Amino acid sequence: MIKRITSSKGIVTAVWVLGLVVIWEICAFIVGATQRTPVNVLPHLYQIIGSFFDTKSITGSGDTIATLVFSSAAETLSRALIGFIIGMVLGYILALLMHLSHIVEKIAFPYLMIIQMIPILGMAPIVLSITGDISSARIIIAAILTFYPVSTNTLAGFKSVGRERHELMRSYGASKFQLYTKMLIPSAMSYFFTGLKISAPMAITASILVDTLQGGNGLGCMLSQSLKGSMTRFVFWDIVIFSAVIGVLSYYLMGVIERAITPSKRKAKKKAQ
Amino acid sequence: MKGKVIKNIITTVGLPVLFGALIFTLWQTKVLHTLFKTDEIILPLPTRIGSIIGDNFTNMLPQIASTMIVALGGLILGSIFGYLIGVAGAVFKKWGMGGLTIVSAFNAIPLVALAPVINNWTRDLSSVVDIRSTVAKIITVTIFCTASMSVNAYRGLTEVKPFLEDLFASYGVGKFKMFFKLRLPNSLPYVFTALRVSVPACIIGAVVSEYFAEQVIGVGRQIRENIIKGQFPTAWAYITVACVMGILMYVILLIVEAIVLKNRRAR
Amino acid sequence: MKSKRVLAALLAASCLATSFTACSGDASSSSAAESSAASADASSSAAEGSSESTGLMSDEEIIKKASSENKVGNWGLGNEYEIQALLSKYGLPTDYITMDFTMDQIDKDTITLASAMTFNELGLIKNNYDGGYNYGDEIGVIDMNDQGVAMLEDNLFCTKEFAKNNPNTVKAFVAASMKGWTYACEHPDEAAEIVFKYGSSVSADHQKYMASEVAKLVTTDTKGKAVSASDVGKMDEDAMQQTLDLAKQYIKLDDATAADKLAKLTLDDIRSSDYLTYDGGAVEKSDLKVQLKWLPQAQFMGYYVALDKGYYKDNGLNVEIVSGGGDVSETVAVSNGTVDFGVTWVSNLINANAGGMELLEVAQVYQRSGLVLCYKKSQFTK
Repeated sequence: MIKRITSSKGIVTAVWVLGLVVIWEICAFIVGATQRTPVNVLPHLYQIIGSFFDTKSITGSGDTIATLVFSSAAETLSRALIGFIIGMVLGYILALLMHLSHIVEKIAFPYLMIIQMIPILGMAPIVLSITGDISSARIIIAAILTFYPVSTNTLAGFKSVGRERHELMRSYGASKFQLYTKMLIPSAMSYFFTGLKISAPMAITASILVDTLQGGNGLGCMLSQSLKGSMTRFVFWDIVIFSAVIGVLSYYLMGVIERAITPSKRKAKKKAQ
Repeated sequence: MKGKVIKNIITTVGLPVLFGALIFTLWQTKVLHTLFKTDEIILPLPTRIGSIIGDNFTNMLPQIASTMIVALGGLILGSIFGYLIGVAGAVFKKWGMGGLTIVSAFNAIPLVALAPVINNWTRDLSSVVDIRSTVAKIITVTIFCTASMSVNAYRGLTEVKPFLEDLFASYGVGKFKMFFKLRLPNSLPYVFTALRVSVPACIIGAVVSEYFAEQVIGVGRQIRENIIKGQFPTAWAYITVACVMGILMYVILLIVEAIVLKNRRAR
Repeated sequence: MKSKRVLAALLAASCLATSFTACSGDASSSSAAESSAASADASSSAAEGSSESTGLMSDEEIIKKASSENKVGNWGLGNEYEIQALLSKYGLPTDYITMDFTMDQIDKDTITLASAMTFNELGLIKNNYDGGYNYGDEIGVIDMNDQGVAMLEDNLFCTKEFAKNNPNTVKAFVAASMKGWTYACEHPDEAAEIVFKYGSSVSADHQKYMASEVAKLVTTDTKGKAVSASDVGKMDEDAMQQTLDLAKQYIKLDDATAADKLAKLTLDDIRSSDYLTYDGGAVEKSDLKVQLKWLPQAQFMGYYVALDKGYYKDNGLNVEIVSGGGDVSETVAVSNGTVDFGVTWVSNLINANAGGMELLEVAQVYQRSGLVLCYKKSQFTK
């Protein structure tokens, strides 16, 4: 029974991926036939994948595209992970504080949104003067960019708990601490993970974005070098595909973690099967 | 009841304004600069920012209009698109989930990579730069706004209280009717949750898409030009404008949300 | 029932995909027709040779035509002043279309008069190496120096405070850097290889092209006269004054305070030639960072040569080269002390000082403007 479900799920994914590949290839074929520089508009997927495994060195230090992408990814993704963890913790604490105190919520909420809207361009020099070095500035900006979905979703989760359940807990004589640990936090878990699912790919895109603030070795730096014509355009396409794949994996990873640590979700899943 | 509402409004508006006044004072008296170890060049004083906005407001209007069109266009298209994907996910459970994943995959492509590619794709669209550039920007914002709506819409459409589902089923309500009478209304609060993320996002998206656009117009474009040229006070004037645009849209969203969800509760 | 669902899902997928690609799909046929027409033009003009008799328009006519079609391209972000000065010279509006940092737009004729640096984009559009567009002699060029609207570009700068507090460091750094430049201009091929070794860039071929073109900019002044490679870094008063005058005319500032400051700027507020000679005094600060204006490439070969040949070490300096091209511009990075030196265009420095920064140019590397407008000859035949 379980086997049948997983296998059919596999088929669904396969069909989707196949469909996208077919559409991509049709478009790439049209582009290839009509454009003078199709690589800049939409290259064939096999060209992109082929370029990734190309053993030709593209830099003075002898990197191939694959080693270049991996070494840049190591740098960018580690920053993304740290930024994500900071953003997640910060976002959760803020959501808790906002739920504990109406005053905090009312004060903080508009400003959380405003911070989100200050372009990184304006924020970066300020963060840079605070930290004094670019790599911690990058981590902090990545954190700032990721905590908002976590905060809003978790807060929505706390609020989703119905009044009747509040009253029930109170009638049992539960303390405020118990109210949170026994009821609110577990109930808000699925919301929290919705936030994480949005912000995990965001953390990755955010750290690629902050890479472009200054030179260095991150994915964003390579991406912009490639776009500015100082490297083959395939580096750009490889990074785009790579970051999309990593982004989706990070989304799935959050789902896996969610199932691992929330018992209710596990049970629900079993029931459905 | 009415007194409570008024009190609520006073605290909702009053507290942030008070807090804002505090920040403003710290900023103007340069306490903030000491705290952040920064100078007036990079973080200009509010009065200077204000005077630049005052001096140039009429020049700013076309920039604001351009950004607003892009942001709103992208927000509306992205939300509709995202909701439809959510619906597809809820109706065709097995196949729709794949679509949701694809959308989140698009979201995992950084905007800085997306915007230039979309510029390339729209290049043949029109020989008039204003048209193709605007379309490119709107598409960028659309993609940026789709994912959060689709995920939330899917949740709203599927996470229906089980007893209600049973109740509807026991009345012999068909799947189609159940969708409109139960699932759609249930998704409304989730739509607003998504919009709370998308509204600031559409402004950011519009601003960033303007960095790469062919057209030399828009609040975002002015921010970038001025930052790179070292004109921070002017850049901050435009940053302020972008924030005000976002706040106004957010306030409108909150008002609409209050009206819509209140009616729903009353019913 | 099941097939119906598959259909619906596929439909949704195709909707999704078409919305992203429709634009590239349906309009491409028309561009195909256009491009084949263009190449036919190109071959006919090539057959007749590129003399006046083919009816190539004059520079003025070309500029006027491109401007009237709103097809003049530039990157903006402080790179546009020379183009605006040129357009004003012919009484045209100063509007331009933003170019991304490729030559795709001129390739597709959405821009017909595109900005290019002689050492970078011009090489890409003409040559056929990796990343190039292979147009060869089909490309015509309008030079800012010839048009009298040249503004000086790559220089070396630090903050006024840094120069005041660390005069020997600045002198030692400038001397070593200029030694690197002198060597690089005399051995451009070797310099290109050094740059390729340090920075990751597309092709060694393009680096070599770039190095030879950059050497020309360093050793020729705006009037076309030769500058001795040993004079690298000197400040040509006339060219500096022209740069400042044009900057004052075309830098438009919304900020009244900054605009006022710009109007009052003199050459003494932006440059000092006191640091061009080093007499061996002890350096005050030995660990230094220099941020480039753009990605690591032969545009900055002098610094890489100085690093590679140990010229910095010889002067007791430990130098790190930080690549630029990001959104934390070199003027900001130097001003807030993240790096000690920067490489920028004189107009950017003027702009930054008008905005309140206190930056000081200590050496002028490029002696003439490397900015040109380039066009396909086939677009401008009579």
